Amino acid sequence: MSQKGTAGYRTAVDVPEELHADLASLLLSLADNKRLLGMRYAEWLLGAPTLEAGIACSAMAQDEWGHSRILYAMLKDFGKDPAHLEHEREADEYLNSELLDEPPAEWTGLVALNFLLDAALSVQIESLKDSRFEPLHYKVRKVLEEERFHFEHGRGWLARVAQTDAGRAALEEALEPAWISCLRWFGGGSGLVVRLAEAGIADAGPDELRARWLDRVAPAVAEAGLELAGVTDGSWAVPELDWTGWDPARRRSGEGGLNDETLAAVRGDKNRTMLMD
Amino acid sequence: MGHLSGEHLYEIFARQKREDRLEHIGTISAPNGSLARAYAWQTYDEQKWFEMVVAPREAFEAVNRDESPFTVSPAEAT
Repeated sequence: MSQKGTAGYRTAVDVPEELHADLASLLLSLADNKRLLGMRYAEWLLGAPTLEAGIACSAMAQDEWGHSRILYAMLKDFGKDPAHLEHEREADEYLNSELLDEPPAEWTGLVALNFLLDAALSVQIESLKDSRFEPLHYKVRKVLEEERFHFEHGRGWLARVAQTDAGRAALEEALEPAWISCLRWFGGGSGLVVRLAEAGIADAGPDELRARWLDRVAPAVAEAGLELAGVTDGSWAVPELDWTGWDPARRRSGEGGLNDETLAAVRGDKNRTMLMD
Repeated sequence: MGHLSGEHLYEIFARQKREDRLEHIGTISAPNGSLARAYAWQTYDEQKWFEMVVAPREAFEAVNRDESPFTVSPAEAT
């Protein structure tokens, strides 16, 4: 079933030429963010505050890598070579959120990625569940089933750490940059998210997606007593956003990119000899 | 397990098929319901469950025994 009562696209070939680049860019952005987020989860396998949290990070890493693998594979139909995408790009070719450029130093930073960024990716993915691009339908449902528990994990840790004054202060410090970054990630008044929404590929544009994300994460932020832009006295609204330095094509701050260690790890540089064939 | 302050035990029940009965499949330590749900699902992931539910151990009331639910006293263990 497609939106707006219009005919669906059963394969990438059916997608009109003018939408090709935008849809491919959206899929690559989701794939890159999920691949890198999975890496960040994996980095806490052995250092998480509890054994259970380490197990959860392991499970979430596997989920994210599974999701990114599905998305990279879909890009084959858009004329991209998944092996090139996964192993041969430079840092400035990754369409990742700036929040993933380097690993978080503290567990609260991982909680920020888990609760805010993972939720932002899910809100964007959910907007594709009845997409005119039909190959997404089944895959989106599968991804969202797994993401339900990522959200529970992030929300649970937010509440847990916020139990003390010191915890709340640490959370605010970690969440503040992630908060603004996620709000911007959905994009401005023009750009590919707008065009894809108008074309029925996604069911909402940036402003609606931002509002959905805020409605998902803000209740727990307010309940935890955290002060973040736009959240005051138990209610919330999208704050005024500063778009200085925003790169609409990469959906991130134009400056910077993956640090060297992250790039080497995500591309699998140490395994390059095995990729020769 | 449970070495952080503010942790609670949660009992996990699940069934594989709609027609199955819920069975007690394990216990997990978590500071709140959100984490109990996440940990239960991610830890007991060998099966494809039709339904999984969790409840804090404190929610269970002993009916016939004096000991706390889900525990066995040394005297009973022998």
